[in-house]
Amino acid sequence: MIDYNKKLATLKLQTKSIFSGHPIAIAGLIGFVIFVLIALLAPWIAPQNPYDLMVLDIMDGLLPPLSKLGNGTTSWLGTDAVGRDILSAVMYGLRLSLFVAFVATTVGFLIGVFLGLLAAVKGGWVESVIMRAVDLKVSFPGILLALMMLAIFGTGVDKIIYALIIGVWASKARLTRSSALSEMQKEYIDAARISAIPNWRIMLKFLLPNSIAPVLVMVPMSLSGCIGAEATLSFLGVGVPITEPSLGLLIANGNDYLLSGKWWISLFPGVVLVSLVLCINVVADRIREHNNPFLKSMNMQ
Amino acid sequence: MNNTPLLKINNLTVTYPLNSEGSDVLKALDNISLKVNSGQIIGIVGESGAGKSTIGKAILGLLDPPAKLVSGEIRFLGNSLVGLSEAQFESLRGNQIGYIYQNPMTALNPVLTIGEQVIEAIEANTDMRGKNAQEYAIQLLERADVSFAEDRLQKYPHQLSGGLCQRIVFAIAIAAKPKLIIADEPTTALDVTVQQSVLQTLIKLSQQEQIAIILITHDIGVIAETCDYVYVLRYGKHVEQDATNKVLQRPTQDYTRSLMASVPLIEKRLHRFALNEEDNLEDTSTGLHYLQEKQTTQDSTNEPLLEVRNLSKIFITPSSLLKAKQSFTAVKGVNFTVQRGETVGIVGESGSGKSTIGRMILGLEDITEGSVIYRGKDLKLITDSTERRAHCLSMQCIFQDPYSSLNPRMSAGENITYGLKIHNLIDNNKAESLAQDLMSLVGLKREDADKLPHAFSGGERQRIGIARSLAYRPDFIFCDEPTSALDVSVQANLLNLLKDLQEQFSLTLLFVSHDLAVIRQMCDRVIVMKDGEALENDSNDNIFEQPKHAYTRSLLDAMPKFQGLAQY
Repeated sequence: MIDYNKKLATLKLQTKSIFSGHPIAIAGLIGFVIFVLIALLAPWIAPQNPYDLMVLDIMDGLLPPLSKLGNGTTSWLGTDAVGRDILSAVMYGLRLSLFVAFVATTVGFLIGVFLGLLAAVKGGWVESVIMRAVDLKVSFPGILLALMMLAIFGTGVDKIIYALIIGVWASKARLTRSSALSEMQKEYIDAARISAIPNWRIMLKFLLPNSIAPVLVMVPMSLSGCIGAEATLSFLGVGVPITEPSLGLLIANGNDYLLSGKWWISLFPGVVLVSLVLCINVVADRIREHNNPFLKSMNMQ
Repeated sequence: MNNTPLLKINNLTVTYPLNSEGSDVLKALDNISLKVNSGQIIGIVGESGAGKSTIGKAILGLLDPPAKLVSGEIRFLGNSLVGLSEAQFESLRGNQIGYIYQNPMTALNPVLTIGEQVIEAIEANTDMRGKNAQEYAIQLLERADVSFAEDRLQKYPHQLSGGLCQRIVFAIAIAAKPKLIIADEPTTALDVTVQQSVLQTLIKLSQQEQIAIILITHDIGVIAETCDYVYVLRYGKHVEQDATNKVLQRPTQDYTRSLMASVPLIEKRLHRFALNEEDNLEDTSTGLHYLQEKQTTQDSTNEPLLEVRNLSKIFITPSSLLKAKQSFTAVKGVNFTVQRGETVGIVGESGSGKSTIGRMILGLEDITEGSVIYRGKDLKLITDSTERRAHCLSMQCIFQDPYSSLNPRMSAGENITYGLKIHNLIDNNKAESLAQDLMSLVGLKREDADKLPHAFSGGERQRIGIARSLAYRPDFIFCDEPTSALDVSVQANLLNLLKDLQEQFSLTLLFVSHDLAVIRQMCDRVIVMKDGEALENDSNDNIFEQPKHAYTRSLLDAMPKFQGLAQY
C-alpha cells in the first residue's frame, strides 16, 4: 500500500531543499559519505590488516611517512612502534569508531524515544520514574558516568557501546516527551481516544510520527558526540581493547612519541577524528537550521 | 472639511512570489483603491485570504518579505507613502498613524507595567516627561474608558482582562494624537459582552479626537455597528463599496449577497442558510446504505437519549513545594436531558464550562460528581468490554480546531476509517470505498481521500472530521464549537451540512458555541451557562424572545445587531 517511490521522491526533494545553496553543508555531507565508505571498505582497500599480528614486522617500527617497508611496499603515513601501517590503522580505527557510534546512537535513540512516548502517554508514576531517571542521568557529567561504568564492568567494544547508550537516551527521552505532550493537547488525540483506540496504537500511529521530527534533528549531533566520547574513553585507556585500536586509542599510542619527534603516529588519526566530527556537525547544524523557522527568517534578512 | 482625503490609496497591488524564481505570483491585493476622510470610520470586510490585513501593513510599510508592493500609490495628507525609508516610516508609525492588533495580550509587553508602557509611548512621541507624562497617561486611560486609571498604571497586563488590555492599547495608540488608526480585528479575541463596549470606546475616540479609523474585520456585525462606509474584498480584489447600510441591506454583488446570507441571524430561526449551493451529484448510495443500516435496529422509546444528572467537575492542581493545593470548579451541578433527534445548544462565554461538560460525557475528562446516563445506562457501570466499546463509539465529537483535529500523517481516508479497522468493524478492502463514500457524503471529492490533511482548507478539514464521526454510525454527536475557526460563508455551508445529515440519519446533537446567532439557527433547546452553572434551559424561541435570566438578556443585548438582507 505504501508508495515507496513517492516516499523516495519526497526524501530527495527534502534533501535538496536542506542542502541546496549551502556549499559548506554539502562539503560536510560529501566528507561524511567518504569517511563512511572508507570505513565500510577498509578490509579491501587498506594496504595491511593491522589486526593481523602475523603481517606486522617489528623491524618496520616507527618509520616516518613515505618510508619503504620490509616487504617492499610504501607506508604512506608511516608506522607505529610495532610496525603497524598508520594508514591501515586509521582506516580500521575509523571503522570501529563509526560502528560504535552508530550502534550506540541508534539504540540510545530508540530507547529514548520509546521511554519519552511512554512517559507522555501513561503519565502518573510511570512518567515520574522515567523523568527522574532522566534527571539523574543528566545531572552527571556524561564522560564521568561512562568512566565509572567502564571501571566497574571492564573494557571492550560491547561495554563501551553500553556506556555510550546511557549517555544518549536521556536527552532523547526528554525531548520526545515534551514534543509528544504538546501533540497530546491536539484534538486528533482526543478523537482517537473517543474511538477507543488502544494506547499503544495512539503511541505508534498518532504520537510517534508527529513528535519525532525535533528528536531526529538531534541524531547527527549525538553521532558526533558519541564518536568524540568513544575517542576520549579509548584515549584514557578504558575503551576499546589495544588489539583493535579505534581513532582515540591510536592517538593515545602516539602520545608517548610526540615529544621525540614521531608526530605522525598521533597526528593522522587526530586529523581524521577532527574532520569526521566537523563534517557531521556541519551537516547537523544545517539540518537544525532548516527545521527551525525562526533561524530561517533571521537568515533571510 | 477640505477636499483632499486624509488617506488615499490608488490601484494598490501587492504580490507574493509562489516559486523561488518569482515568475508565478499570488496577488494578495489586486488594484485596490480606497479613501478615508478625517474622523471617518471605514470598514474593510472580507473572509480569510481577502487581503484585509495586507492593506494595513502596506500603509505602514510593514509588509513582510517576500511580499512586494508592485504598483499603486498611497497618499497620506497628500504625501506619498510608497518607497519611504525605514526611518521615515518610523516617524510616521505611532506618531501619525496608530495600529491596533487583534490580540491585546500579545500586543502588550508582559514584563512591564501598564504605566511604563503608556509613558514609554508618550515619551517617544511627545515632549512630556516625568510628572507631566504620568498625568497625561492617566488622562489617556480615562479617555479610553479605563476605570481606576491611576491604580491600573501599576498593574501588569496579565492582571487585567482582555477588554481592559485592548482599551490600554487604544490609549497607547492615541498618545501621539494620530490622525489615523488602523484597527486589525480589534475585538475578535474578546468575549461578546466585552466586544460591544470596546467598540463603543473606539467610536467615541474617533468622534472626540477626530481620528479616522480603518477597521479591518471579518465580522459583519461589527461593521454594522461601527462603520460609516465599507469596502468588501475577496481574494485581494475589490468587490463592492458603499455606505454601510446600503452594502449590508441591498448589496449589488452576488458575493456580498451570499456573504450577508451566511451571517447567522439572531432575530429569527431559518430552516437553512440561503446559499447558492451546487447539488451534490455524486453517487453516495453505498455510503448512505452503510449509515442507514443501523437505523432499523434503533429502538424508539420515549426515554431521553442522554441524561446529565447533577454533573460537576473540579480541577485540582496538586500541592507542590511552593504552592498549596488549588481547586477550580469548572462545572457546578448541571442537569439536562437530550431527546433523540434533538439539537441542544450550550452557550456561554469562554471559561463557562461548556466544553468541559461535553468532554465528561465523552469520557475525555473524569467526572467529579454526578452521572451521565446514555441510552438508559451509566457508562461507569458497564463492565462488559464489547458493550462498553459500542457504547463509546456511538458517541462522537466534532472538534473546534480543524487544523489539529486530524492526524497530519494519515490520509483523509485513513483518518476516517482507521478506528473502524482497528476494531474490526469493517473489512480492510471495504474501508477505502467507505472512506470515499463518506467523503462525497460530506461534500468532498471521492478521489481526495488519498490526500493528507494539509492539502485541505479549514472548512474541508472540518468536513473530514464530520465524516470521521459519521463512520462510527453514531447516535449522538457532541459539536464543540465546530465553526468558530471558520469564515462565515464556510460556517453557513457547514451548518447546512450538519442540518441535512441530522435529518437524514436522525442524529442527536449537543452543540456548544459562544456564538448566540449560531445557536439560534441550529438548536431546538438552549442551555445558557456562566461560571460553570446552567442559568437557563428553555426552548430556542423562549430563550431568544423572552429570556428570563438577566445574564441571558445581557448576552443578547451585547450581540452586534445586523438585520440581515432587506428582502427577508
